[in-house]
Amino acid sequence: MIDVAMRLYENMYYLVSVILFVIGFHTLLTHSNLIKKIIGMNIMETAVFLFFVSTGYVRGGVAPIIEPGVEQYVNPLPTALILTGIVVAVSVTAFALSLIVKLYESYGTLDAEEIMRIRSTEL
Amino acid sequence: MLSSVSRKLILIAAMAVVFGLFAASLIDLASLYNDATKDYFFEHGFEETGSNNLVTGILLDYRLFDSLFEAGILLVAVSGVIWVSKHDFADKNPNFMIDKYKTPDLFISFARLVYPLLLAFGLYIILNGHLSPGGGFQGGALAATAILILYFIDKNKETDIKRIVTIEKVLYLAIILVALLSLFTRSTAFTNFVAPAAGRQWQVVYLVTLNVLIGLKVAFGLWTIFTAFLKEGR
Repeated sequence: MIDVAMRLYENMYYLVSVILFVIGFHTLLTHSNLIKKIIGMNIMETAVFLFFVSTGYVRGGVAPIIEPGVEQYVNPLPTALILTGIVVAVSVTAFALSLIVKLYESYGTLDAEEIMRIRSTEL
Repeated sequence: MLSSVSRKLILIAAMAVVFGLFAASLIDLASLYNDATKDYFFEHGFEETGSNNLVTGILLDYRLFDSLFEAGILLVAVSGVIWVSKHDFADKNPNFMIDKYKTPDLFISFARLVYPLLLAFGLYIILNGHLSPGGGFQGGALAATAILILYFIDKNKETDIKRIVTIEKVLYLAIILVALLSLFTRSTAFTNFVAPAAGRQWQVVYLVTLNVLIGLKVAFGLWTIFTAFLKEGR
């Protein structure tokens, strides 16, 4: 038990990113406001970024910029991968927000359940 | 239809499963990425890419193919935003978010001071992407933020979206062409077109060129997204 607790303490970044992920997941699933759903999705994305970047962390390492006299750097590969992820997250958020603007224009509400109710009475 | 209590229970169970799966995978994660690849980057990265910043080196040399599609995804998203929001621009008020009577004068005066500094800082980050933290994507986002501040200073500012998107497409083509240049000089596609034997001062030419192109492309792309959202309000 103490062994598991110590391991969790050593991998604190992973644990925090999992907690962030669950918070974002909860926001995404429980809120019916579409903007809040997007916020929850962004929190989930941030958790994944934190998770990946912390896998490359080396204890005592500095940022991977080659300078004379520095011995240990953190792993640059997850950082480079996550740069791609951030751009994808921005693109997805922008496109989703523009779709939400259109939804608001045609239904007059941002509530997903309200939109579903309006659609069910239309048909 | 499930009752709200059982729905909440299912939700809690689903989150517990997610949490448990992550916690179970914590055993040996650090060794996943900290093995041989890391040492390879530190031993050969500087000589092969000529970039002090190893992240830029990976992004613009080892994984350039990946970065091309990263820039392409942004282009696709910009096109999608414009396509979704292009219908009947005419009957809307383009000044909705930047109403002069709602923006405080203090903010406008301060924005006038901050705008040139922000633009210069964005250019600095783009140009120094191979030496210090930063690069094309980060500097481009900063420059686009500076342009967004410009809308607060001059509320009658008009932007021709079509022209910006055309410039962005041309820049994307230029990025692909620069990436393909190595096919002719080193007979390998998607890497530095200057061989490492030529010396670092010539390798830097490639890094700065590609960083500037990507930075401009990202700045124009985000500018287009801002403008599309500003014009959408009623």
